[in-house]
Amino acid sequence: MMTAPRERLQDYAPLIMLVALVFAIGFYDRSFFSSSNLLTIIADTMTLFLMASGVTFVIMIGGIDLSVQSVASMSSCVLAVGLPRLGFAAVPLAVLAGGAAGSLGGIVSTKLRIPSFIATLAISGVVTSVGFWLSTERSINISAEDSAKSLNWAVGQFLGVPSEIWLGVCFLAILSALLDLTPFGRLVRGIGSQERAVMASGIDVNRTKIAAYALSGTMAGIAGVIMAARLGSGSPTLANEFLLPAIACIVVGGTAITGGVGSIWRTFVGALIVQVVRIGMTFVGVSAFAQQIVFGCILVAAVAITMDRSKIAVIK
Amino acid sequence: MEPVLELKGVSVSFPGVKALDEVSFSVGKGEVVGLIGENGAGKSTVLKVLNGIYRPDSGGVFIDGAPVRIASPRDAFDKGIAMVFQEQLILPSLTVAENIFLGREEEFLRYGLISKSRMNAAAAEELRKVHLDVHPGRRCADLSFADRQMVEIAKALSLDGRIKGDVTLLLDEPTSVLEKKEIDLLFNIIRDLKQRESIVFISHRLEEVLAITDRIYVMRDGKVVFETPAKDATVKALHQHMVGRQLHHEYYREARQAAPTAVPAIEAKGLALRNGFSNVSFTLYEGEIIGIAGVIGSGREDLAKCLAGHKPIDAGTLKVGGKLVSFRAAHDATAYGIGLVPSERKTEGLVASFSVAENMTLAALPKFVSNGLLRFGDEEKVARDWIARLKIKTPSVRTMVGSLSGGNQQKVVLAKWRVAGVRVVILDHPTRGIDVGAKEDVYELVRDMTAEGLAVILLGDTLEEVIGLSSRILVMRDGEIAATFDAAPGKKPTQVDLVGYMV
Amino acid sequence: MSRASVESIPLWTRWRSWAPVAVLLALCILIRLFSPNFLSVSNFIGLLNSASIPLVLSMGATFIILMGSIDLSVEGVVAVTAVLVSLLVENDVSSYSIGLFAVPIAILIGGAMGFANGVLHVKLKTPSFMTTLGVGFAGIGIATTVLGGFTARISDQSIRFLSLGRVLGLPVAAWIAFGAVLLSLLVQERTRLGRWLYAIGTDEMTARHAGIPIEKTRILTFTLAGLFYGLAGVLSVAQFGQGHALISQGRLFTTVTAVVVGGTSLSGGVGSVLNSVIGVFVVTILANGMILMGVAPYVQQGVQGLLIIVAVTLALDRSRLDVVK
Repeated sequence: MMTAPRERLQDYAPLIMLVALVFAIGFYDRSFFSSSNLLTIIADTMTLFLMASGVTFVIMIGGIDLSVQSVASMSSCVLAVGLPRLGFAAVPLAVLAGGAAGSLGGIVSTKLRIPSFIATLAISGVVTSVGFWLSTERSINISAEDSAKSLNWAVGQFLGVPSEIWLGVCFLAILSALLDLTPFGRLVRGIGSQERAVMASGIDVNRTKIAAYALSGTMAGIAGVIMAARLGSGSPTLANEFLLPAIACIVVGGTAITGGVGSIWRTFVGALIVQVVRIGMTFVGVSAFAQQIVFGCILVAAVAITMDRSKIAVIK
Repeated sequence: MEPVLELKGVSVSFPGVKALDEVSFSVGKGEVVGLIGENGAGKSTVLKVLNGIYRPDSGGVFIDGAPVRIASPRDAFDKGIAMVFQEQLILPSLTVAENIFLGREEEFLRYGLISKSRMNAAAAEELRKVHLDVHPGRRCADLSFADRQMVEIAKALSLDGRIKGDVTLLLDEPTSVLEKKEIDLLFNIIRDLKQRESIVFISHRLEEVLAITDRIYVMRDGKVVFETPAKDATVKALHQHMVGRQLHHEYYREARQAAPTAVPAIEAKGLALRNGFSNVSFTLYEGEIIGIAGVIGSGREDLAKCLAGHKPIDAGTLKVGGKLVSFRAAHDATAYGIGLVPSERKTEGLVASFSVAENMTLAALPKFVSNGLLRFGDEEKVARDWIARLKIKTPSVRTMVGSLSGGNQQKVVLAKWRVAGVRVVILDHPTRGIDVGAKEDVYELVRDMTAEGLAVILLGDTLEEVIGLSSRILVMRDGEIAATFDAAPGKKPTQVDLVGYMV
Repeated sequence: MSRASVESIPLWTRWRSWAPVAVLLALCILIRLFSPNFLSVSNFIGLLNSASIPLVLSMGATFIILMGSIDLSVEGVVAVTAVLVSLLVENDVSSYSIGLFAVPIAILIGGAMGFANGVLHVKLKTPSFMTTLGVGFAGIGIATTVLGGFTARISDQSIRFLSLGRVLGLPVAAWIAFGAVLLSLLVQERTRLGRWLYAIGTDEMTARHAGIPIEKTRILTFTLAGLFYGLAGVLSVAQFGQGHALISQGRLFTTVTAVVVGGTSLSGGVGSVLNSVIGVFVVTILANGMILMGVAPYVQQGVQGLLIIVAVTLALDRSRLDVVK
């Protein structure tokens, strides 16, 4: 079906908005345009993007994952506690812990037939407890030598560009390939569009859904590891305040909450928009506190605009 | 005297199908009018127009001779028309009284609060009318199914005495969930009501219609084809009018109907599903088409779903290709080579936002994957093959399937199962919403499939279709197999033969 | 149609509706075994105090869940009202001192935010979990902005009396909560709003056919819930003697847990405010028990998470075979 010019505009709207915002802020304050500033902004955005990229898969199947911030925090604790004892092995362990937490949410949601927002809300409670327990309720420092041994791929620079950006772009490519080129990606799109038809075609829908949640948890774990590396410590509340921006990235980027459509690059652009708006507000003088209000409004507006109402008979 | 309720030349269309075609229909004061016809004849649609759920595209509705516009079921109610639906709409968490007066509680308000005692007393009045002996304060969740149906009827009857003007009751298959005792009770109530109210009565059980109605309308394909006073009607004549059309042997490609092989594809023994069907046994052979005829509620739709794994069976054994199976989900069934072409094409048959190629490969994705990545080239090649074979009209393999016509969409669904290489295809209303030319194509395709050794179970849209296509026919009624017919070409049963067992 | 239908309700279903009460009793017995202190008068008073705010919150939340929606804005609304109350009565930040007049103001503000929830949900045709999530975050934001991240300590004794005072030996807050429960029961059983939200939660189409004004009812219900959250905001300030934006952190979780554990179904149409009362006590007593048994506080969130999962699974109506997202 040929997309009408209006739909094409909607496709590129997030990107246009991003560019417009950058120019608007730069107009206000030229220093915004400095390459070191822009690089820093993009680097700072990457952990948010990584967290949101996994959730994108969950939203595309029509669910939601409210556990990502707890999972990221817990993973940071696994990392911080594990590094001294296990060295580099703590990194994959932390990421796997994230994946396990995500799978748990997926299993609870699919096998027990509990709506995803309750299932993931409940799991986030369990995961937070685990995080506190692992870290014995405090934040755990990562010694400089541990960091140098196992984490210098996450911090530092390569060819003049911060590692976070390399990682972000890397995962952007990998996840986009996953979504566009693999059967898993196609099923994610299909389940979000028309789950009944996919089921009737003989697909084990539960398996795909659990995989999507597992992926979400894994990416949250990776985000948690990188955050811990950057901050030099892991803590059970490390990623607090990240849940709303993560969801905002996805939705502002143009992925509909109703599922079936979307892409990882949209989440990428959405993350940049969220970050630019945040920084922009600071540049322009809005207090850090009022930013929450702005985010709340943006979130509701973005969802209202992008959701596909023909798919939901009764809006609860 | 003006009829209490009248439809004049009413037509209602939905995408792809004309549900009512210039229907004229009237109900006199104190009259009980029966409405009969096959599935899809339009009976429920007539009631839904009268009840304000559908609005006529053309023609008019008249109450006491005056034209009216009925905007919603509530509006219909306020105008004196009350409907009892086939599906129960009683809310289990609320009490009997609350269900009866749902939305009309103002009558019982005292200082803004609902007076339970007054509402219960009023409800008790209504319950007396239907001889239902339950306390109006009981929650409906605690009542039996039949009692809830009586509450539903009491709800409709509560109109009586509450509006000025005439009251008409619309009853859509009210007896299908009742036992004999309750049906007798209902009929007594109807005879009582006749003094004051008019009633429209739909039932697939002709004996009932003949017993209780004054006048009968027969509908077919959205039109009224026959009208008669009940005392002049016979079951045989009514059957004839219900089915009417001549069989076109050509149309169903009967020439291509071959005798089935002796290799069993599916063997069913004693299959049962609670509230669905029971004691279903049959053997489906490769190359054979078994048609299942039955009205809504006969259990055939549930049977189709169970065979395709969508619902688990409660009892009985099922063998596919000689192996004993137990399906818990659709993917269990497809693993054994059974594919279902569902009646809800747009929500269960296809993913509308996927392309033609993506839909065609959906049931066989592993075949198009290497090293974890999809082989788009192969996909498109296979899709092009089938587009040619099935003569699917589409601008390209990448066109979104939602933009294709109904007939072409259905061909894509069929192609999907061919690509997956299933050995048994279950067709649930395969030609619903498709134009005549496309229907013929589908029949041709079905013959192609059996020629290649596939086995087919057909739930036809019309009796004609079932008779024309099948080699054997099972007639289901009220959850059981009522009759089996052989349907070799030249020795086909007539529609009247079948209808006799369906209703 | 074969008539093997629901003639008599299976034993399991009948038993299931008593499960929450059974759980409560079992819990009490278990904890008593571990800690004799459990049933002492002072502990009981402490329990009532702990349960007061969750009780009030769960009343509002129950109405929304009965209707089939969800309200994630609880913490935000309580934050806004608590902060406002703390600034309007005698405190160490601002110079207002309107005493108990702050109570109706707080309740009205809560109602206004609930109204916003309802309007956004209905007019924008957006799922309630999204709109309330947004409003909730906006609420925390407003509360944080107003106080600039600080805390306002109140010195108004009449407000503090609402929590610290005793009437007939029981905390005033408990009496207020009790009153809230009675009021909720009245609304649920004897008003059209109460009956209509059950109808909408069970089957919106039937409700619409019966002429029930769906949009108005939805907006009114969210507003009603907001009124309760506003009251909870007042009680929070009374309890802690201060107002700050994070005063209700974690309340959303415990409120939803309480409602769900009490037996009200998330899909709507089943349950009642009385169920939520049981649920609140289960959650409160569990927390109390864990403290008495020396379990670390952070474990509670995990236990509550598990509790939600178990409760929802047990309450599951398997006949609703719809796609669950």
